[in-house]
Formats: sequence, C-alpha cells, structure tokens
Amino acid sequence: MHSNQQQTQGMQLQTQGMQMQTQGSADAPAPQPLLADYELPPDRYDEMFSAADTPRPHFQPVYAALQQTSAGEMAQRIQSAERQIRDSGITYNVYTDPNGVDRQWELDVLPLAVSASEWRELELGIMQRARLLNAVLADLYGPQKLLQDGLLPTQLVLAHSGFLRNAYGMKVPGNHYLHLYAADLTRSPDGKWWVIADRTQAPSGAGYALENRLIVSRVFPDLFRNMNVRHLAQFFSTLRDSLTFHAPKGDGSPLAVVWTPGPWNETYFEHALLARYLGFPLVEGGDLTVLNNKVWLKTIAGPRRVHAIIRRQDDTFCDPLELRADSSLGCAGLMECVRRGTVLMANAPGAGVLEGGALLGYLPRLCEHLLGESLLLPSIATWWCGEPAAMADALEHAESLAFKPADHASGIEPVFGNDLNPEQLAALKANIELHPERYLAQELVQLSQSPILNSRQHHSLTPRAIGLRVHASMSSNGDYCVMPGGLTRVSSAADARIVAMQRGGSSKDTWVLPDGPEDTQFTLLRSTLTAADLVSSNPMLTSRGAENKYWFGRACERCEDIARMLRVALNAILQESEDGLNSPVFALAANFVLSDDERPLDRRLLDACTLESESLGLAANLRRLSHLAFQLRNRLSLDHWRSITQLLRNPALNKEVTLSEGLAWLDAVLITTTTLSGYALDSMTRTTGFRFLSIGRRLERLGFLTRAMLIACDKGRDSGLTWLLELCDSVITYRSRYMAQPEWLPVMDLVIRDESNPRSLLFQALGVRDYLRKLEADHGDCGAELLEPHIELVRKLDLDSEFHPDSPRLQQVLQDFSDATLAINARLSNQFFSHPRARVQNDRSVT
Amino acid sequence: MSRIEYQVVHETVYTYAWQVTNGQHYARLTPRHTAVQEVLWSALEFLPSPAEISKHRDYYGNHCHIVLIQTPHETLHVTATALVRVEPLVLGEAHCLQAWECALPPSLYTPEPLEVADMRLATAMTPNLNEGLQMARRFFTPQRPWFDAMLDLTRHINTEFAYDPEATQIDTPLSEVFATKRGVCQDFAHLMLSCLRSLELPARYVSGYILNEPPPGEEKLVGGDASHAWVEAWLPEAGWIGFDPTNGKLANAEFITIGWGRDYNDIAPLRGIVLGGGEHDLEVRVTVTRIG
Repeated sequence: MHSNQQQTQGMQLQTQGMQMQTQGSADAPAPQPLLADYELPPDRYDEMFSAADTPRPHFQPVYAALQQTSAGEMAQRIQSAERQIRDSGITYNVYTDPNGVDRQWELDVLPLAVSASEWRELELGIMQRARLLNAVLADLYGPQKLLQDGLLPTQLVLAHSGFLRNAYGMKVPGNHYLHLYAADLTRSPDGKWWVIADRTQAPSGAGYALENRLIVSRVFPDLFRNMNVRHLAQFFSTLRDSLTFHAPKGDGSPLAVVWTPGPWNETYFEHALLARYLGFPLVEGGDLTVLNNKVWLKTIAGPRRVHAIIRRQDDTFCDPLELRADSSLGCAGLMECVRRGTVLMANAPGAGVLEGGALLGYLPRLCEHLLGESLLLPSIATWWCGEPAAMADALEHAESLAFKPADHASGIEPVFGNDLNPEQLAALKANIELHPERYLAQELVQLSQSPILNSRQHHSLTPRAIGLRVHASMSSNGDYCVMPGGLTRVSSAADARIVAMQRGGSSKDTWVLPDGPEDTQFTLLRSTLTAADLVSSNPMLTSRGAENKYWFGRACERCEDIARMLRVALNAILQESEDGLNSPVFALAANFVLSDDERPLDRRLLDACTLESESLGLAANLRRLSHLAFQLRNRLSLDHWRSITQLLRNPALNKEVTLSEGLAWLDAVLITTTTLSGYALDSMTRTTGFRFLSIGRRLERLGFLTRAMLIACDKGRDSGLTWLLELCDSVITYRSRYMAQPEWLPVMDLVIRDESNPRSLLFQALGVRDYLRKLEADHGDCGAELLEPHIELVRKLDLDSEFHPDSPRLQQVLQDFSDATLAINARLSNQFFSHPRARVQNDRSVT
Repeated sequence: MSRIEYQVVHETVYTYAWQVTNGQHYARLTPRHTAVQEVLWSALEFLPSPAEISKHRDYYGNHCHIVLIQTPHETLHVTATALVRVEPLVLGEAHCLQAWECALPPSLYTPEPLEVADMRLATAMTPNLNEGLQMARRFFTPQRPWFDAMLDLTRHINTEFAYDPEATQIDTPLSEVFATKRGVCQDFAHLMLSCLRSLELPARYVSGYILNEPPPGEEKLVGGDASHAWVEAWLPEAGWIGFDPTNGKLANAEFITIGWGRDYNDIAPLRGIVLGGGEHDLEVRVTVTRIG
C-alpha cells in the first residue's frame, strides 16, 4: 500500500453486511458488500485498488462492471464458466494428487488488468531477456567463451543436469535456440515487476492463458469489448509463421508438430489445445521415426517429413539411443538430426540449462557483455552458493532468504529460512557447505495481491497473492514477440509466498489494455478470438492415433457386448428368462469370458462381471477400455472420461458380488458404454479417425454376433431363442412384429439379414464395408473386398431352406464372417498401425 | 618399454529369440588418437549391412557411429578392427614429486581447461559418497606426492575388491560395490573416479583394451581378451595419466584407448534400440595381438 495513505495495518474496508445486492443502477451507487472482507495490508501491492474502494484507473471499468452486476447474475456467469471448463475437459494433472491424475482447471473469472504503459515496459524487458538467454545458449553450445573467459563459473554450467553434452555443436536453424520463452513475474510492494524464474526448456501456460481468455471474454463480453483488451490470436499466428519460416526445407510442404510426453503429463491438456489451435498434429515419441538423418511422422498415409517440433518433452527423454535409455517416450536418432540441423526444435535440446535460477545473478553482467545493453527487467536478488562469498553471506542471513536447488533434478526441496528451527537451520547450512554449488539463495518477496470473486452465494471479493507468467515467441522477423496477456496464477491464500499450479491454486485471465487509438484499430483488423478460431481441421492422422481410435471402438463395444451377455446369463440363472437354465448363453459365456474351473456356474459368471483377475471378464476389459480412453483424452470431454473412471471406482469392482449386486453393476456398465457410443455418434466429427473408431466398433460387434449365432446353431432347434434376441437388443422389435414366441425363421431373419436392424449381422457387415471403402478412397485396398462375397451370400440365402440351425450353408456363412473379421483386423494392423515399441539393449562384457 | 603396435579385433554378436525388424545402434568402438596413441587404420562392420551409417565426434572428441539396420535379422554381428601404435609413458621426476594438492581446483574465476573442470564433477554413476571420500583421504594426505597417492589408491582397490562378473549389473549402484567389495572393471573405474572426484580431483573414465600376454610357453587364446575400462587422472603440466584399479597398476603401453567420458554412459561401446527380437544372448570376442 502506498505510504501516504492513512491506513492502519490490516484495516478492513467498508463493511456493509452480507445482504444480497439487487440489480445495480447507474445513478444510485450500490452499497459495497463486494469489499466486506477485503483487506489492504500496507506491505503488499494490490493490483486492483490504490486505496480502500479506490480502484486503480486501468481497473476502473472492471470494478464498475462488478458493482453493476447483481449477485445472481454473477453467480450465473461463474456457473457458465465452470460449465465451459468441464465441457472442454480442461485439466491440469497434479502428480501428487491422490485422487487421480485429473484435476479440473481452476479459473477465477475476474481478470488481472495491466495498463498499456506498464505493459510496454514489461514487453521490452521480456524481449531483451529472451534475446539475452538465446545468446547465452548459443555460446554454451558453441564457442563457450563465457566459460573460458570466466564470465560464468564453469561449475554452474557443467554440473547442471540440463547441460546436454550431446547437443554441443548442434546446427541450429537461424541460430534461434530459444523459440518459446516464459518469465515468471512478481510485483514488489513498491509496484515494480521482478523476474522470479526463467522458463526455457518447454514453457507451459500459453495454452491455458488462451483457454482462460476464451472463457472470461464470454463471462464479460461487453466489458471485454469496451476495454479494447488486446487479443492473443496474433501471438499464436506469429509462432506458427515463425516455425514455418525458420524450419529447414525439403521433402514436401513444411510440417510442424507438437510433441507431448503423453496423457500422463501434467499439462497434456495444453499440448492438445496448442496443437489444435496451431493446426499442428499432436504427436508422441512413438509417432516419430528417424530415417536418412531426418525426422518423419508415421501417418496412415506413410511417413511425412517433420521440419519443426514444438517440444513439450524434457530433453533428456528425447532420444533413448543417446540420452536416457529408460525413456520409452523418445525418438531414437533424434539427437543426430538435431546436431545436423535437419529439424527445428522449439526449444533446442539443452535449453533447460538456463533454468533453476543460479544464472539470475549473472544476467546483468552477461547482458552488458553479450548485448551491450543494461538489463531492463531485473530478477529478484539471487545468489548462487557455489560462489564462496555469496554462500557465506547467504548463510549469515539465512532467516531472511529462501533456499532453492540450483538444478531441479537434484531433488532438493525449496525452504524458507525463517520456517526452520535452529537444528533444521544448522542441518541446511551443513548441507550447503557440503555441496554449495547445488543451492541458491533468493530474497523473499512479498507477492502482490489481486481480488478473486470468492463464491457463488456472496458476491464479494477476497484478496489472493498472484504471480504472472508472460510468454514470448521467436517471430519470422528474427526478434521476439511477447504475448499481450499471460497466465496469472493465483495462490490459495492471501499471504502465500509461492504461487505454483502444481501446488494447487487457481488462475486468471490477464487483460492488457491498448496503447491508444492505433491499437484499437489494430485489433479491429485482427479477428477476435472465438470458438471458430479453435476449429482447425487436422488432416494428419498418425498411425498411433488411428490405432488408438480403432481399439477404443473395439473395447467399448466389447464391454457392452460382454455386459449384455452376462446380464442375459444372470437373468437366466434367476429363471427370469424364458430359456431358463438350458439357455445357450451359458455356452457363449463359457466361450467368451468364463474361466474353466470347478466353481459353480453362477459364481464364475459373477466373478467374470466384477473381478479384474478374470482376464477375459468384464472388469478386465473395462480396465483396458479406460487405458484406451486415456490415450484419447484430448478427444473426450471430462464428463465422458469421468463416467469411465467412476465405473472403476464402483465398490462392486473387484468384490465377490451377489446376484443382485452383479445385475446392478451390469446396468451401471451398460449405461456408461451406451453413453460412450452415443458420444461417438453425436460428438465426433466424421474424420478418418472417426472411421477407425467406427470400424473397430462394428468389427467387434460383427465378430460377437457371428460367435453367438454359431452357438445358437450348435445348440440346435430345441433350445430357446429369447437369449439371442436379448443379446441383440431386438426383443422389442421382434415382439412388435410377431407377437409370438421366438421362432428360428423370423429370429434369424431379424438378427442376420434385416438390413434395417442396427443389431443385425448384415447391418454391421455393410457398415464395416462402407467405412473400409471410404478409407480405400485415400489409402488403397483396406480389405472391403474380404466381406463382399459373404454379404452377397447372406442376401442370397433361401429363407425357407437355409434359415434353420442345421443348415451347413448358414453355418458356413457365419464362419466366413467370423474369419473375415480376423483377416480385416490383420490387414488394418499391417497397413496402418505398425509402430511396435522399441527396446534398449546394452553390451557389457568387460574385464 | 618402447612403442608397440597392435591389432585389435572386437566382435560383438547379439542372438535374438526372434526376428528383429529394425535396429538402431550407437557405437563407440573406434579408437581415437591420443597424446601417446596413433590409430593407423580402423574399420567398423555390421552384419546385416546397415541401411545408413552416420559418423560424428561427441563432446569429448570420441568417434561415434549411428547405424540403422532395416534388414530383418535374428543375429547381429558387429566387428571393430584397428591397428594402433602406442608410445610408452614418460614421466619426469619433477612430476612424480608434486604434491597432490596442485591438482585441486583453482579459484572460481580462474579459468582452467573445460575438459579438466568437467572431470572434477560427480555424475549419477560416480556419485560423491562418504565411503569414497574416506577412502580417498586415506591416501591423499597433506602434501603427499600426487603420483604415490594415485598409485596407492589404485593398488588398494585391486587388493581390497574382488573381480566377480556375477556380482554386478550395468545399473548396480556404486554404494553397493563399496559394500560388497565385488565387481568388474567398470565398477572399479567408477569407484576410483568417485574417490578422486569427492576431493575435486579431475579424473575421467577410459574405455579400451588391454593386452593379455599368455603365460610363458602357452599359445595366446583367440578371442580371450575383453574390452576394458580404467581411469585417467589429470596432473597439471603432465596431463592425463592412466591408472588401472582392476589390475592395480599404471596404465602404460599395453593399454589401447577407444575414448573417454565422465563415466560409462558417456563412452558405452555399443548401445541399441531394436524392434522385436525378444530376449537376446550377447557374445563378445576381443583379440588383441601385438604385431610390432
């Protein structure tokens, strides 16, 4: 707080009770329950208020809008924001979260506004810093003059796990090592911005900032427009153009990809979002291959040269041939491509050496030396303990400092000196003296605070400590471009000393205000960011993507088929089915899921429902489904993903259930699988990926139906047929047509030959054939002709003479379809999915 | 001892349980020139024939080959052959008498060669351990000649630790080697590096071969040699001097150097990524022949 204001420490702003505010009106300023709980401590900078109920000028419109919005309306807007977050499946995985890997993204709808003049300073500072850090990288992986001339202590670099010796001497297109850079900023009580950390390896947050913008600009559409908030779109198009511009050329049109470590990564959602927004394929290590010292993407249409990679993969995981051998996430041979400069990496492997903070204290000198300028944007005071004088000084003032690892890989946890009791402090000092180079000491900063809307019921503001992450991208003109906005990170308390998403906490959109009328004009020229911007077709289907969708389709259908079959079987046990205990469904179940042992039939059926140890059973298949769904998470909404995970948290799972529990469990499974089918039909665009999913589903069902019908034939004319109708979900159709007990001819007609019955064999076969034909239009023979003769045969089967269980022709047709499903599966695997996992081998024969 | 010429044949055979459809290999099997070693000729052959071979020098200047094999195979043969001339080490008396403290790091901003600074640092395979520090301090007492202390430490490891190929794997942590006192040349080299680096003395891991002369009257066994690993430590002005803790002696002209790094990981002879193959058997035959 400014010192000239007459406020006492921790004073409460006006308290006006908690009554709800009704519709605000312009001529009668509303009372201010908004600020009932809001404190302005004198030792903290408040982003929104310069004094009690006095907003800073650039925040004035936001504050006015808040006052004019009723509590009810605001609650609605917040709910709508939460719904958007849920629907788009925005998550941030937290490694330490015991409740699973997914945590819904937390967003406070009140933006952080930054004035134009302040932003201009930040922007220049960030640009300079990016240039500086790029120059440092160019030296460390090239001439190493900084080390030879003693401008940087050698140990600081050589002992850092991020210094990647395999990247030394690499040819970097355009000499741009750092394409993406982010700075974590904090504001001290006097209102100055400081850099607290540089992110150079694979900076995250730009995608979340984009998603926040999308949501918040809808929560306050008028305010957003009236304030002329600067748009983010140009930043991303700059990045896209820059990668294309700087990437090496050859072997077809330029292709850039976003490389993710996979769905387990904490920021996977962002990788998927970036890929979609930039129109680049989202790939994993297994999608890439190296041939001829170039990187290629394995697509269903064959290999495509990759010219640029946005790397969201830590560099030590990039190449199992040269780097971490235990990494299955990498692409073998990549480092040689990097050294030869045949692929642009954003950022260059080895860029992580600048992270950790030990460098911060050296930047002013390096800036003078490398750029001939003084450093514009200061870092918070940081001392690398590897310098004896710095260490001695830091240990003396330990209570007022934070101690952090100089290298994240060291496993050292950051601590605050003043949190430690005398013994702990002594232990810390001993550790530092033993390995001074592993530590750095950092001045404690009082983070600035900004208000959040604290809940739906009470339309009021609460202060929270915040930090701001600002992103910069290389551009095609060779200089950096700063995203006008950023990810504002909100701590879970007002007096927090660290703000990090990984530790919990929320986020805000950041509104950078325009610099005057020119800027307004500029924004008119640019498209505003709308949902339509995010729709960008992704024509490049990777082999792995196709395979995941295919197997997801199959697994979904298999779970549904098995659940349905088990339900028919359990009902038969309960004598609720007309077929009773002689039902052929038991033979089918034995064929499909039952383990062969001495236990009674009902026990084996129930165990097949819920025990994962039954490897062919429903529970084990659901587990497989959830793994596959996980791979497709960027395509599934959070709700769909949750419906699967909820099933896996059902108490019936892995419990020896009773008949009634078993039936209830099967109902729950069927609801989920049906929802997923519905999602696939309703929500997925009809891309090639959708075709693979559909082929998977239909092929699975076709295989299941033929096996069921072969069993029916095998059991002969005397066994009942209701089970088959139930299995094919065709009881109601049958009853409405025939009003009679099931008989062979009409039942077989309905479940085999009726092209209008979506559960009939012919319907499925035609579906598979049609989807295969669509694939064949682009990819040559995919096996549609394998089905053709059998489809003709079914159509030609004589109703009277062949539709009975003893007909050899009927049995042959069924067997042929069953064989065809296997043949098509093999054909698809060979043609599209061949990307087996590689293994690492070492030699070791020594004396 | 005068200069010696050698022929080295290093054959590696992987036999897989089933077919390998694609293999990528990273080979560091070609000896490099050094202050005392001249490579007269070298060759590296893969069977089946590679679709691609690319060569580069790594950060330390070692020869690296990256090889792609796309012919399906159940057996992979790798044969590295070299003709090498090695000069014996000549150490001046002055060097032998320098106190070991002369090899300690200079002050933070006094530049020293980066290749030296790099080798003072602990690595994942050569961590700073209390056992290592204690062991090093037994020999590196104040003002003791560097050379004596080095040689004593080398001999100490040779006497106190047992050679046992069954005792360790590639990923056996060094602390376990300290505890069980068993291992192979890699373990002993790592152990010695760990001791030296805990005092911040610069030392590097060397990969290569050693000439095993047959007992008098017996014929030399073809393929009976093996690849070897030892340590080179840095003495100001004299340079890098080799010590072999496995055999407890100075590494002299019977040692043939392939290359060096901070630890095994930097200079592993052959590392591969294969598709398919299943389990594999590994057979290595090394023949070092003195030819002049």
